[in-house]
Amino acid sequence: MESTEKNKKYWNPVIETLPRERLIEIEVKRFSEVLRWAKENSPFYKRKLYGIEPEDIRTLEDVAKVPITEKDELREAQAGKEPYLYGDLLAVPSENLSVFHQTSGTTGKPVYIPDTYESWQWVVEVWCYILYAAGFRSTDRVFLPFVYNVYIAFWQGHYAAEKLRCNLVPGGALETKGRIQKMLEVRATALMNTPTYGLHMAEVAKEMGIDPKRDLYIKKMICAGEPMPEPTRLRLEEEWGAHVYNHIGGTEPGGWAGMCSEKKGMHVIEPHYLFEMVDLETMSKPIPSGVKGVAVITPLCRRCIPLIRFNLKDIMMVMDEPCSCGRTSIRVDQVEGRVDDLRKIRGVFFSPNMVEEVIRAKFPEVVEFETILTQEEVMPVLTLKIEMDPGLSEDQHKKIRARMREELKVKTNLTFEIESVKPGSLPRYTLKSARFKDLTKR
Amino acid sequence: MEYDLKAMDLEIKAIEERTLRLKELGAGIEAVQSNADSILTFTYILKRTISDVIE
Repeated sequence: MESTEKNKKYWNPVIETLPRERLIEIEVKRFSEVLRWAKENSPFYKRKLYGIEPEDIRTLEDVAKVPITEKDELREAQAGKEPYLYGDLLAVPSENLSVFHQTSGTTGKPVYIPDTYESWQWVVEVWCYILYAAGFRSTDRVFLPFVYNVYIAFWQGHYAAEKLRCNLVPGGALETKGRIQKMLEVRATALMNTPTYGLHMAEVAKEMGIDPKRDLYIKKMICAGEPMPEPTRLRLEEEWGAHVYNHIGGTEPGGWAGMCSEKKGMHVIEPHYLFEMVDLETMSKPIPSGVKGVAVITPLCRRCIPLIRFNLKDIMMVMDEPCSCGRTSIRVDQVEGRVDDLRKIRGVFFSPNMVEEVIRAKFPEVVEFETILTQEEVMPVLTLKIEMDPGLSEDQHKKIRARMREELKVKTNLTFEIESVKPGSLPRYTLKSARFKDLTKR
Repeated sequence: MEYDLKAMDLEIKAIEERTLRLKELGAGIEAVQSNADSILTFTYILKRTISDVIE
């Protein structure tokens, strides 16, 4: 009885508490199998993996010798190739496909990712691990304030919550005020959100005279769609009076890591994924835990479109110490930024996430912000536009800007121009925020 | 391990075998094929989450 109670915190206690050595054995074996499947069924991988024999993969060191797959290669494998849309990547007959998603296209032409019924159910199953670790249960009424569109994140969340037998309320067709009213009406206890929209909803609720902490029933929130620095997560917890959980995922690999009740980093959903870290400079050499690097992932059970050592371009770090929740999977720290957003300014690496970390941790007066990089003659210039609480005086604005300049200097080693702008003048985002604009020629 | 994984694995395989047999019996009936395929999808997931763990 006691062990049954203990196991209630896991979606699958068998897998989630396996010794690390056993997890690695299963992952390496599956990697070899997915390699074979990809070579035999995907024309793209038949070419790319020429000369690599699946039976030669016996250790993680062998895995690291297999070439990394880049997003641009996926685009090339699809452009103008048959079958239409999915091209050379596809490893199953087109008539077996039942689900369509695509990337947002923020870094180029979108990549189209289909699923068969089988591969989609696997994607949903993985999200069940994520939701369960975040405390979602059949007793929850879950509100989803989005139109899911062609993007994968909330579709996964929707079907995983359904599989957990949560009572699901889709609020996509409503405006923000309508969504807040609906959450109140149905007494939703859990919410799926983007960090940006979570903050925006709290702002709108207060304008409506509704305090999310006092008047709504939300006890837990899971965020998707964009990186969430820890100060943003804490700010959301404060605004909503709820437990807020982070997760990591993407269209190509699906959701692959999630936060447990300890809220210290995110557990990779092993052995459904094989996770590796490579160095920032060459993006190929494996690095040890505790060092910042770039995440590389291989989904191990999704046969429809295999992805072998896919470069996520997310910058993060593996955490060393075991988690007190009892899960034995690798834990990663928050996503610290994207390689695509990383800039070298005056000899210093700058990631836009650093600005968000400072603002969310130390300046609750800031409602919205935007960082702009321009080039003036030979010097790159970073300008930060901020929208502040309208109740503040110009004198208070001045003091906040001065303190912000100092804090940003400490955090980034760079000097910012800071401008206060009119309340409501900066864009608000629901899905992927775009608070960094690079107006220089890279 | 407190669970009898081998017994669970045998049940998963039995469900798979019986579902394949059901597909044969229901050849030509789309509703049988489709629902049997759904069962096979979930036996695939159960094999990945239980059977693969057995050493």
